[in-house]
Amino acid sequence: MNSEMSARRKVALYGLLCVLLVPFVFPTWWMVTSSLKPISDIFVFPPQLFPAHPDWSTYRQVFTVQPFAQQYWNSAWIAAVVTAATLAISSMAGYAFARIRFPGANALFIVVLTGLLIPSEVTIVPLFRMFLKLGWVNTHWPLVLIPVFGAPSVFATFVMRQFFIALPQELEEAARVDGLGRVKIFRTIALPLARPALASVAIFTFLHSWNLYLEPIVFLSTPSKFTLPQALTQYTDAYGGPMWNIQLAAATLTALPVLIVFVLAQKQFVEGLAHTGLKG
Amino acid sequence: MAEVLLSRIQKRFGAVPVIHGLDLHIHDGEFVALVGPSGCGKSTLLRMIAGLEAVTHGRIHIGGRDVTDLDPKDRDIAMVFQNYALYPHMTVAANMGFSLEHRGRPKSEIAERVRWAADVLGLAPLLERYPRQLSGGQRQRVAMGRAIVRDPQVFLFDEPLSNLDAKLRIVMRGEIKGLHQRLKTTTVYVTHDQVEAMTMADRIVVLNAGRVEQVGSPLELFDRPANQFVAGFIGSPAMNFIAGRCTSEGLAAAGALLPLSPPHRLLEGREALCGIRPEHFEICGAGDGVAAQVLLVEPLGSETQLSLRLGETPVIALFHERLGVAPGDALHVRPKPGAVHLFDPATGVRMDAEQAVA
Repeated sequence: MNSEMSARRKVALYGLLCVLLVPFVFPTWWMVTSSLKPISDIFVFPPQLFPAHPDWSTYRQVFTVQPFAQQYWNSAWIAAVVTAATLAISSMAGYAFARIRFPGANALFIVVLTGLLIPSEVTIVPLFRMFLKLGWVNTHWPLVLIPVFGAPSVFATFVMRQFFIALPQELEEAARVDGLGRVKIFRTIALPLARPALASVAIFTFLHSWNLYLEPIVFLSTPSKFTLPQALTQYTDAYGGPMWNIQLAAATLTALPVLIVFVLAQKQFVEGLAHTGLKG
Repeated sequence: MAEVLLSRIQKRFGAVPVIHGLDLHIHDGEFVALVGPSGCGKSTLLRMIAGLEAVTHGRIHIGGRDVTDLDPKDRDIAMVFQNYALYPHMTVAANMGFSLEHRGRPKSEIAERVRWAADVLGLAPLLERYPRQLSGGQRQRVAMGRAIVRDPQVFLFDEPLSNLDAKLRIVMRGEIKGLHQRLKTTTVYVTHDQVEAMTMADRIVVLNAGRVEQVGSPLELFDRPANQFVAGFIGSPAMNFIAGRCTSEGLAAAGALLPLSPPHRLLEGREALCGIRPEHFEICGAGDGVAAQVLLVEPLGSETQLSLRLGETPVIALFHERLGVAPGDALHVRPKPGAVHLFDPATGVRMDAEQAVA
């Protein structure tokens, strides 16, 4: 009797999960399948779950309508540099806040955290004026410097600080007795043990940089310098109408690295969240 | 090997004093246990010797050198932590050789020292494992191995057996003591377990609220505790305390008359706290001792622990034999000759016959 009920309950539960899955999976499914359809078939009702005659030429046209390969590279190298720089800065800053007692440490950390409270829409105009004075508008410098010294880095510092606080003090005391100084303790003891937190920070930072939209549309005006989120909005025909199928093909290609990174690193992602005490 | 000298050591955390002007001389090669209840300052004192805590006032000398202001790495000490503090991302061999590697010693020397320490501690088959693959006892041995590889002047142990189960604790106690006998390195050992201190130390320092209550060999502390605190802390089960007044016939204590030795009778008229260890009671005839009622019988195999009421005072008695008694039974007990300790009820200080001179 119990096992029967259990099987019935399982079927009901899985059925419910499948229903709940639809709003999450359908947009991605629709994006991929519509990238293979002619424009006229994309908005038919009821929606076609599968393209009648898949047209793979949209993926070729993605690269001919715009310098998509160049834009892909722009997004990739900016995300890589931002991730590397954020990891370096946030790990050191997080360790300092966690382990070094200096006057005003708590107050300084609160000041740093307030950076999370200010939306980027509020600071974008003064930042534009600043970079304009520096002659860095229509370059990639703002897209690198703003995340590295802005809210994403603040969040990363918070994550790393929480991780280092949880690291047993005795490990570092043992290292002090063994003869290590502060820098070596950080490099040889704390950092190797921080891999889960570092992986989590890397994923967050990469995703944030990859998906950045406001800063590119404000600072960049040359198509060959565009990043992918900005480039996606440029797939229009001669009359200004969107070329949906090609745009969705470009969107599919844009989402691919994100999916791959998450699938490969989801274990570290969850571990990193757990280490910070943040319940996702 | 070196002596350790602590001179007028004080420690404050902010405005809160935790160590109050402590002096201690640990001789070269000696095994000294710092023992006391939680919060007495024993770990803080050990960490000050290690250099992990700053000294508020006073000086520390190791091997004739003033190390008070030196970093831990410059004190030539090695420390074994309560939770082992092994580096999780390094193998056992890497953990043990880490300090030598950091000091730039040749790889061949490191390998030789690690191999020697591993042989001493029985760790040779475990050198390529990681700490997470070891049991508690193995991790503790690795922590000890990491310490002995360095051949320091002083070993510092901070409650190293606290995280082990009772059986393993007994085994490791013997191993640590054996290691000390073999290496003869000056050792300072912190524990809250007085049994560990009694079985391992050459001398014991009993600490309470940041002050030294008594320093002496285990048997000195057991036979002649300087005050009520030491008397109650050393010995298991703990000493019984019975308040009363010294008379010419004995100690009158709440409905009972406990026999006192002749020298103690010189304290006639004085209020006193009588201390008798549970194992120092003996059963006697009705005319000799004190009437007692059995409250609880706890057979321990080769021993029997009784909870008794002497007059109105509950006491614990331990007999090294099996007894055919049951709760509610009446019997007579007396302290063994010379086994009575008297303490001033106001100050807790030991009262000897010499103090009978008013």
